[in-house]
Amino acid sequence: MPRDTLADLADEALVVLYANGDPDAARLLSKRLVPKVLGFAGRMLSDRTEAEDVAQEAMLRLWKVAPDWRQGEAKVSTWAYRVVVNLCTDRLRARRRRRAEALDDVAEPADGAAGVVAGMIEADRIAALDAALALLPERQREAVVLRHIEGLSNPEIAEILQIGVEAVESLTARGKRALAAILSGQRVELGYEGAE
Amino acid sequence: MMDNLDDLFASAQAVRMQPSDGLMARVLADAVAEQAVSRQVRPVVAVAQVRRVGWLASLAALFGGAGSLVGVGSAAVAGLFLGFVQPDGLGSVADLWAQASVDQVEMIPQLDALLAEE
Repeated sequence: MPRDTLADLADEALVVLYANGDPDAARLLSKRLVPKVLGFAGRMLSDRTEAEDVAQEAMLRLWKVAPDWRQGEAKVSTWAYRVVVNLCTDRLRARRRRRAEALDDVAEPADGAAGVVAGMIEADRIAALDAALALLPERQREAVVLRHIEGLSNPEIAEILQIGVEAVESLTARGKRALAAILSGQRVELGYEGAE
Repeated sequence: MMDNLDDLFASAQAVRMQPSDGLMARVLADAVAEQAVSRQVRPVVAVAQVRRVGWLASLAALFGGAGSLVGVGSAAVAGLFLGFVQPDGLGSVADLWAQASVDQVEMIPQLDALLAEE
């Protein structure tokens, strides 16, 4: 199928074409989905190597499931986000386990939100946000990132996290309050002092 | 701080991890490898053939295919026909098999016979 025709197709149709052996379908699906899954995994894990591994694994699972893809059940991107959530959960659990086993041998990771200096440039503000996000409980972080950074709707997030829409609203609200509390001590460093 | 959070989220949306060329190459290599494996074990299904299954096809599948459905349907129609017509030879055929007398019963009596009894 010509490439310009493929570009008009929905992700779901591309998955069917991929399963039928179309090589361009895989290229287009990767171009659409990898930035999304990598961006989300990056915010969840704060580690590029791990985030790339998760993105590659999520895409590999998509390639494997493509021949059995059941059309009309879930959006491909929603399915991919759900896979990333599960993979990140596994990695975060393993990380906590390793940290617990290491006990005091290894120093706690530096609290980026606390160590920032005055007059931050934009990248530093985002680094402070990422550091604050890393301090949130896992479910709150997932909900806040999916809602406020990935820009997904609450029903989509509910499908990804496999919880109700009200639970998503509660998680994002609590997550935002916690973030505000973490970052409120750094208003000067973040450049917000005197802004009101 | 809650208002400033929205500014921070907006900034974070613009700054996100971008896939490296190496990652894209690995993902596409996986795609090609999986495609080759899948083509070896599964028949190709054309996109045009991906369509909804109708109720008649579902019913036929339930009976083990369209041929079986036709057979079951024919038997049902024949049974209904014999029940209504009740041919004279039916009793003798039943005698032959069951070795016993089978009385023919008129399930739907004629209206004039009922009237004559009154």
